Amino acid sequence: MNRRSAVKGLLFVTGGLVLLPSCMMESGKASIALKHLRISADDEKVLAEMVETLIPTTDTAGGKTLGLHKFTLKMVDDIYSEEDQETFTEGLDDFQKLTKKQMGASFLECSPQQRQQMIAQVNAGKAPQEVLGFYAILKDQTIKGYLNSKLVMTKLRKYELVPGRYIAYHPVKTTPKLS
Amino acid sequence: MANLNVDSVKQRTFDAIVIGSGMSGGWAAKELTEKGLKTLVLERGRDVKHIKDYPTTNKMPYEFEHLGELTREIREKEPIVSRCYAFREDAMHFFVKDSEQPYLQEKPFDWIRGQQVGGKSLLWARQTQRWSDLDFEGPARDGFAVDWPIRYKDLAPWYSYVEKFAGIAGNRDGLVELPDGEFLPPFPLNSVEDHFKKQLKTHYGNRHVISARCAHLSQPNEIHFQQGRAQCQNRVLCQRGCPFGGYFSSNATTIPWAEKTGNMTLLPHSVVQEVMYDEKAGKATGVRVIHGKTKEVTEYYAPIIFVNASAFSTNQILLNSISNRFPNGLGNDNGLLGKYVAFHNYRARITADYEGLKEFATDGRNPAGGGYIPRFRNLHQQETDFLRGYAAGFRANRNQEEVRSGFGVDLKKHLLNPSWGIWQVGSHMMGETIPKAESQLSLSKNQKDEWGIPLLNISLGYDDNDEKMIQDYHAQMEEMFTKAGFTNIQKTDSKQAPGLDIHEMGGVRMGHDPKTSLLNKYNQLHACPNVFVTDGACMTSTSTQNPSLTYMALTARAVDHAVNEMKKQNL
Repeated sequence: MNRRSAVKGLLFVTGGLVLLPSCMMESGKASIALKHLRISADDEKVLAEMVETLIPTTDTAGGKTLGLHKFTLKMVDDIYSEEDQETFTEGLDDFQKLTKKQMGASFLECSPQQRQQMIAQVNAGKAPQEVLGFYAILKDQTIKGYLNSKLVMTKLRKYELVPGRYIAYHPVKTTPKLS
Repeated sequence: MANLNVDSVKQRTFDAIVIGSGMSGGWAAKELTEKGLKTLVLERGRDVKHIKDYPTTNKMPYEFEHLGELTREIREKEPIVSRCYAFREDAMHFFVKDSEQPYLQEKPFDWIRGQQVGGKSLLWARQTQRWSDLDFEGPARDGFAVDWPIRYKDLAPWYSYVEKFAGIAGNRDGLVELPDGEFLPPFPLNSVEDHFKKQLKTHYGNRHVISARCAHLSQPNEIHFQQGRAQCQNRVLCQRGCPFGGYFSSNATTIPWAEKTGNMTLLPHSVVQEVMYDEKAGKATGVRVIHGKTKEVTEYYAPIIFVNASAFSTNQILLNSISNRFPNGLGNDNGLLGKYVAFHNYRARITADYEGLKEFATDGRNPAGGGYIPRFRNLHQQETDFLRGYAAGFRANRNQEEVRSGFGVDLKKHLLNPSWGIWQVGSHMMGETIPKAESQLSLSKNQKDEWGIPLLNISLGYDDNDEKMIQDYHAQMEEMFTKAGFTNIQKTDSKQAPGLDIHEMGGVRMGHDPKTSLLNKYNQLHACPNVFVTDGACMTSTSTQNPSLTYMALTARAVDHAVNEMKKQNL
């Protein structure tokens, strides 16, 4: 137990998911240990603002606070094929260039409105293929990380570890889908 | 010193030895110890104590490093086991990794192994159906393999016996092809599963959808409370090990029961090299064991030996049990040991949508997994251009879905406010395959594992009969789905290698005749009757039922016979 809490001090806890920090916390490098992806500290900041734009803070925590950018990096680094990893890092690069070109400023320098404008454009498929490939991975993992975060699973859409029942005919009212 | 040696031999001598502690080994242990025999249970892997050694059982999804998914590193290093549906972050520790124990594939075969106390009984899909005489009479009627030396009436009381103890949920459906058993209340079909059931009744009459029968305590009896088990809590996280003992596993059930008798000695990390044979005595005398870690070799002795190492490992042990009398493996006078292995064909699936019954969904989780369609092809007579037939799983799901197209506040709102999608239905085939002489296991001549045991070489593939059956399954299911009003029907053939069914069987088949089979009707080797094989290796044919329940019944029956024979001094 002592060992466990000692180790815990060294770990980031993002939305309940535990990540190892990068070796020396070198400046300029991503904050979590990555085996395959080459991600700079700035890249990570951009990703943090992107996940925050995708899932913003409202009366509940948003993507950045939940660490969904770190979760995405971890998943892409450990799960995805080399090809997809390349798509991800190159597309991220291209996205930053595209932002600079269109907004005259880096994504980090952009106002929240400008960031939303950029995401809206990419979300609508209006960007080069490389950017769209990267965005699809980011959005996919952001949603997965969000729905599986401790916050959502324990407070907002509760996951039942022990249902204790199976109702085969569960009556439902057809609720109109949110527009 | 002489006395010490005598003592040492004494300490290593038991009334019975059981090789393996999984589904059937656990039953052998329970039955033997209950009947008062001092029993040594040898398990190749580590010990797994009920509850205490289920490290992931109470974890929430976000407590897994990758939310349960396999990393690329693992998938690349362990490609075979990674193809198993249950090999995920939450249960990886209960599987043998490819890299730890290599084997040879003359033809591709995905051999899924669980080596720990409890074996694969921790991991199984818990489906339990009895065989009927339509299954036992299959080889004789259709002219393949050899005739089973037993019929349903021989096994029926033993099915009842094991069902009562294990706890099987099911409905008394009154089907001749799937005899009823000693059931706890069934897990009911949902609205769309019931709809499909009614449609089949209307359109075919003789095709049925029943609540899948499964080894879950839907409502425990006194005997289950005595085992320390409680009602199934519908977690459906069974592969992690169940803290309630809600489903049957050796760990929760037979092994602790055997332990309680005080007659069991359980030795994990015990890799059995061979069963030893004494030519003068004309019987097997014990087993030679290599310690899994230290590699120390020890011999153990007993008048009867049960080999329950899992179907293919049992073949491997017997093939490696060489003596002057049996130069080709224990009991192998006819050269058929390792031959006529088979499996269940799980390649085909079909999915569809259903737009109706929107007033219903389900709530909670169904551990039975939904419905089961017993075999309906060639049931009472040959009616197709392929032999035998298939059973099928059938389930309907209705999920909460989120609109994911947007971003920002809008996306977040949708993610937190899902709405019911339409019903989705799916089925998978479980096809009988025909055991053939060329489907066989052998030992490598030159490659050995780290314990010095020759690697097992597996040569087993699909044949024409299997391909025809896949086509028929797709055609019949498409027709049935269409008649039931399902839309967007998608048929798939995974083309997966045999093995992922985890129903490999045979190689030490039962039969009447020592010239054409290895085991008699009580699972004793014809040529060495104090050795019993009651795991999947004993199977003469595969039929379509998930096989574990039959292994349990065969084991309990064989132990009963063994102990009676010992009392009569015939063993």
